[in-house]
Amino acid sequence: MSPAAQQRLSQVASHFMPRPTKGVSTLVEKHPDDIVVTCALRTAITKGGKGGFKDTAAADLLAGVLKGIILGSSIDPALVGDIAVGSVLPPGGGATEFRGAALVAGIPETAAVKSLNRQCSSGLQAVVDIANEIKAGVIDVGIGAGVESMSLQYGPGAVTEFSELLDNHMEAANCKVPMGVLSEQMAKDRNIARTDQDQFAASSYQKAVKAQKEGLFNEEIVPLQVKWTDPKTNEEKIITVSADDSIRDGVTPESLSKIRPAFAKDGSIHAGNSSQVSDGAAAVLLMRRSTAERLGQKIIGKYVTASVVGVKPLLMGIGPWKAIPVALEKAGISKEDVDIYEINEAFASQCVWCIKGLGLPFEKINPKGGAIAFGHPLGCTGSRQVSTLLTELKRTDKKIGVTSMCVGTGMGMAAVWVAE
Amino acid sequence: MLHFRTEGFNGSAVKYSPFFDNRLAVAASANFGLVGNGRLYFLELTPNGIVPLKWYTTQDSLYDLAWSEIHENQVLTASGDGSIKLFDCTINEFPVQAWKEHSREVLSVHWNLVAKDRFCSSSWDGTVKIWSAQRKQSLLTLPTYSCTYSAAFSPHNPDILSCVTSDSHVRLFDLRAPDSASGHPAMIPIHGSTSAFVPGTLGSSAKQTIVPPSECLTHDWNKYRPSILATAGVDRTVRTFDIRAPQQGPLSVMPGHDYAIRKLAWSPHRSDLLLTASYDMTCRVWSDRSDMLVKDGDLMRTGPIGPTMGSELGRMGHHTEFVMGVDWCLFGSEGWCASVGWDESLLVWDVRAFVK
Repeated sequence: MSPAAQQRLSQVASHFMPRPTKGVSTLVEKHPDDIVVTCALRTAITKGGKGGFKDTAAADLLAGVLKGIILGSSIDPALVGDIAVGSVLPPGGGATEFRGAALVAGIPETAAVKSLNRQCSSGLQAVVDIANEIKAGVIDVGIGAGVESMSLQYGPGAVTEFSELLDNHMEAANCKVPMGVLSEQMAKDRNIARTDQDQFAASSYQKAVKAQKEGLFNEEIVPLQVKWTDPKTNEEKIITVSADDSIRDGVTPESLSKIRPAFAKDGSIHAGNSSQVSDGAAAVLLMRRSTAERLGQKIIGKYVTASVVGVKPLLMGIGPWKAIPVALEKAGISKEDVDIYEINEAFASQCVWCIKGLGLPFEKINPKGGAIAFGHPLGCTGSRQVSTLLTELKRTDKKIGVTSMCVGTGMGMAAVWVAE
Repeated sequence: MLHFRTEGFNGSAVKYSPFFDNRLAVAASANFGLVGNGRLYFLELTPNGIVPLKWYTTQDSLYDLAWSEIHENQVLTASGDGSIKLFDCTINEFPVQAWKEHSREVLSVHWNLVAKDRFCSSSWDGTVKIWSAQRKQSLLTLPTYSCTYSAAFSPHNPDILSCVTSDSHVRLFDLRAPDSASGHPAMIPIHGSTSAFVPGTLGSSAKQTIVPPSECLTHDWNKYRPSILATAGVDRTVRTFDIRAPQQGPLSVMPGHDYAIRKLAWSPHRSDLLLTASYDMTCRVWSDRSDMLVKDGDLMRTGPIGPTMGSELGRMGHHTEFVMGVDWCLFGSEGWCASVGWDESLLVWDVRAFVK
């Protein structure tokens, strides 16, 4: 290019000063290059080892939710460029069976599939990866998904033995301290009272019961027909699973106070104030706003930005506390601007600590309950939060939401969303 | 809406003829004005749509044009090679006159509406020049020391000339005053002197914050209020100023465009109305809400009162690339206008169809 042409180009480029990215009004603006969600669905989340999906492979759950996305959005499946699936436990990351699941779901072989694992935030990471691929122009339409069958794949096989090198490095070795043990220690160190934890856990149950009774989950759940073996009769049946089966009615702080601590005799963490072991899948269909408008897709929300941060492995529970302010800063809004926070309830202890640490009002947190009430299928949760959040924002006529979770080995992720 | 495709050439400016209600000229450039030829179109609005009367291809990109105020067939062009050319649409192929003094891209040309033997030009070389069509050399060179995107004579006074530059200032030259003509113009800081006003809603007290200076790309004199001009540019905001009170900040402020504003034009029919063209691919119609201003309007006496928030009345989003030029039709029913952009499109449309 001649020097004159180069200078003319620089001049035009200099006419684009950075937009002020501050404030709600800027955030809710609509631009053709926004990354938008046109469909976000999940399966029911069921009890690990007992619930409706106890005999269903993770890939089958994924195929079911992908089918749901295609039916629900009426997108031409041939337009899907890439599918990212977050999953924590499957050997080999699940890469092979997830590709199979996409084909079963009716997505043609032209769509690529990848699996990824960022522990409990895998589902969110999958959505963020797809959003970034669209932003970078790699693809036009994509699906970010998450799936976990903890019934079939939870166990020691999911983690490789540590080498001597890692074991001899203190901080590295901390990465394999079990979640419950380190959370118990953190609860002790940071004085998170058991009564506060039980209070929070009970309210999670109560909110979920209420939401389920009012049918607030119906819109986001894809019913799946699966085979299920009755443990009493050993008889194989075909059942339709269309509701979360682990939400217990009548849970109160008093009833939780009677449960014995799980990780230490004098501890505060127990089965009733931690996330449940469960099975489930969720998926989010993403594209550019201009693409959505061209295809006539109904836009339900906008992905704004995400953050990922590291914390000490033994303090993994504080992840959201560190990740949320980073995401808000990137989005140019304050914590008060956010209408709903979906913060994963890995343990009541860490969730309560993060909420208090950030100074957030409890009314804005998980208004339909969380993982304590209906379960935390590890890889699924991050994508599941998107459908839970966007439906609730829309129902209550609110705008801005944040999803976040702590991540095993000491990380945190958060993402900012706008409902439309 | 009428459409004409300037195929292979990306529009940079459009102007209605001051003589005929159905005649337009468009300046355009190949490759977005970065490198390659320019083209000037003479176009006519006919019952069969927009029809090219004549076009001229030039060596370098064209960035602006101005109709002669004394000859109905003649148009001036501002060229990337530093030249200014006068084309006559009754003469084929070549310009009838050419001037070459600017050492860099000429970015604007403007004909004096009162003293009709004169016109001015502004350039990236940091000067504004005043010319007579009868003379080979310029009459006067005014230094601005920074890239000057737009220069214009006041439509009310033949000796007052304004320009806007990349240094975020309006310069006002009074050609009768010796020091002004020798390069000491009155200056209006567009971004505010020490602080600038961020408009609140109408009537609320103005909150003061520092606004960084930014390149000013376009300005225009109000056709009814002799002391009022409007500026706009990279900071996406239209501001109006009263030249009698240059240090008191803008009279009204119109934020709203998503990207830089490339061109603005006051309505020839209504004193509060103006039209903008922006890199955000829209044209927008604004009222500066001057009806809300102090009636007696003497800012020298009232002191700063904080700017009024102008309102966006409507927007036209049919362009599919940067909109670079816009102009109002002087004739007929009030509201017809034309816009050109990098989408190789000239659109002729009625503003009233887009007012909310």
